[in-house]
Amino acid sequence: MAFSGNYMCTSFKKELLTATHNFSATGGSAFKLALYDNNASFDASTTDYTTTNEVTGTGYTAGGGALTNVEPTSSGTTAFTDFNDLTFSTATITARGALIYNSTAGTNSVVVLDFGSDKTSTAGDFTVVFPTADASNAIIRIA
Amino acid sequence: MKVEALQLNPEFQVEVKTTSGRGFTPEETAEMAADKIISISDEANPVIRDQAKAFRKHIVTVLAFYMRQAIKSDRTTVYNAIKDAGHLDLAELIRRL
Repeated sequence: MAFSGNYMCTSFKKELLTATHNFSATGGSAFKLALYDNNASFDASTTDYTTTNEVTGTGYTAGGGALTNVEPTSSGTTAFTDFNDLTFSTATITARGALIYNSTAGTNSVVVLDFGSDKTSTAGDFTVVFPTADASNAIIRIA
Repeated sequence: MKVEALQLNPEFQVEVKTTSGRGFTPEETAEMAADKIISISDEANPVIRDQAKAFRKHIVTVLAFYMRQAIKSDRTTVYNAIKDAGHLDLAELIRRL
C-alpha cells in the first residue's frame, strides 16, 4: 500500500455533473486538505476522506486544514479553479501525500495528491504549494 | 462532448516546502508569492524571458522588504500588547528577536 500518483477522483467527476461541488470563493463549498503517510492507498476510485493512515503530530488536527478557494474563471476555452497555498504552522509532521475533499458535501473526495517522497517539518512550517491559477497550471481545469 | 482535460496531467506535481526549527524567511515567502504573480515559460522569446526574469527578481526583492517591514510592525504590536499585560521581560525578549 502506497501512494502511486496524482488522481482526480472519478466520483468527483460524476458529482460535477450533479452540482455537488461549488468552488466559488464566496459562498462556495468548504474544501479541506488532509495529510497521509505512505501506507495510504488512494487512487481515482477514492470516494471519501478517511482517518486511516492520516498523519498525526504537533500542529496537525485530524481532518486536515481548510483550503481557500480561488474564484473559478476562464482563459480562452479553458475554465479553471485553484486553491491558495496551505500552511500547517509550527508543525512536527511527516506526510507522503494528501487528499482534498469537500467537507460541505459530506466528505466527498476531489483530488489525490502524491508528494513523490516523504515531506517532514520539525517545529516548523509545512506548506503545500498549489500551482499558479491559470489555464496551463491550475489544479482543476476544464478545457 | 468529451472534456479532454478533466484529469490531472501525469506530470502534475504539487510542491511541498517545509522548515525545521524556524518559519519561512521573508525571502522564501517572497519567492512563493512571486511564483503566483509571474510565471515564465522556458519557450518564451529570449528577450522577453530575460525581461520577465529581471522583473521577477525585482518583485521578490520588493516583497521581501515589505514582509520584513510587516514583521517588524507586528512585533511592535505584540510587544505593546504583552507589555500592557504586565509582562515587560517577555515583551523585551520579543522586541529583541
